[in-house]
Amino acid sequence: MKKYLEYVLIILIVLTIFAFLLGYLKYVSTSLVAVLLITTFIKGALVIDYFMGLKDVRLKYRLIPIIWLLVVISLIAVAYYLPVTGA
Amino acid sequence: MTKSINLKEKYPPGDFAIWIIIYVELVTFALLFLGYTFSRRADIALFNESQLMLSQTSGFINTFILITSSYFVVKAVKSIQSMTQESYKEFNLEASKWLLFAIVSGVSFLIIKITEFSHIFGEGINLSTNKFFMFYILLTGFHFMHVLLGTIILFNIYQKTKIFGYTLNDYRGFETGASYWHMVDLLWIVLFPLVYIIR
Repeated sequence: MKKYLEYVLIILIVLTIFAFLLGYLKYVSTSLVAVLLITTFIKGALVIDYFMGLKDVRLKYRLIPIIWLLVVISLIAVAYYLPVTGA
Repeated sequence: MTKSINLKEKYPPGDFAIWIIIYVELVTFALLFLGYTFSRRADIALFNESQLMLSQTSGFINTFILITSSYFVVKAVKSIQSMTQESYKEFNLEASKWLLFAIVSGVSFLIIKITEFSHIFGEGINLSTNKFFMFYILLTGFHFMHVLLGTIILFNIYQKTKIFGYTLNDYRGFETGASYWHMVDLLWIVLFPLVYIIR
């Protein structure tokens, strides 16, 4: 059996440890929010492609969850980076 | 024969109906994620202060558990997909082993989450405490129910593998349950940094 699943698992765990350490050590600054969101997108895309098995199916079925993830992450970024007015 | 193999690869694994459910669930959770994110803008200090009451460690352990359980489920699916007419019993048993790991992971997630909820509710926090905790309880509580259902589904699949119920021509139900479990994992991958880490 190919080893790619093990590589995917390792990447997911490393990115999760990275996010946890940033939070645990209170290193989450505004600029690092973008980094955390990008790593979240990478993790989600890996799950969609390799665990859900959508890498090998018709593009439209793969794109639905990928676009979902992209839109959610982008709007979260907008909410964090858009200046708060009238507070 | 070739045609049927090609068609199989063009569609997502499992029953197509589960993908409709998955897409609906993704949209539902997206609304909750965005509700949380944009409500935070109205009172950032309150959200940051309330977030400090959560255990990032248990959130991290639960993320680790769900990611690993998803890996176990993929290994189980690969086992079933690898079987031949002669070796279906052997591969059912192999899949059952991986599924058992995934079920134990699912139960561990639920136990950790119940402990976390007990702590939060023990502090007198409820849905009406503030907006942060309203979203926290709604998001994680709703996700908790999905993990519970996913674990029950995996257990049912596990029981069927124990009686060698999956054959070369009939393992779509297996893939359907696996797809649901991966969705639960995907949702937590977004939920964990959003609610526990990002501030």
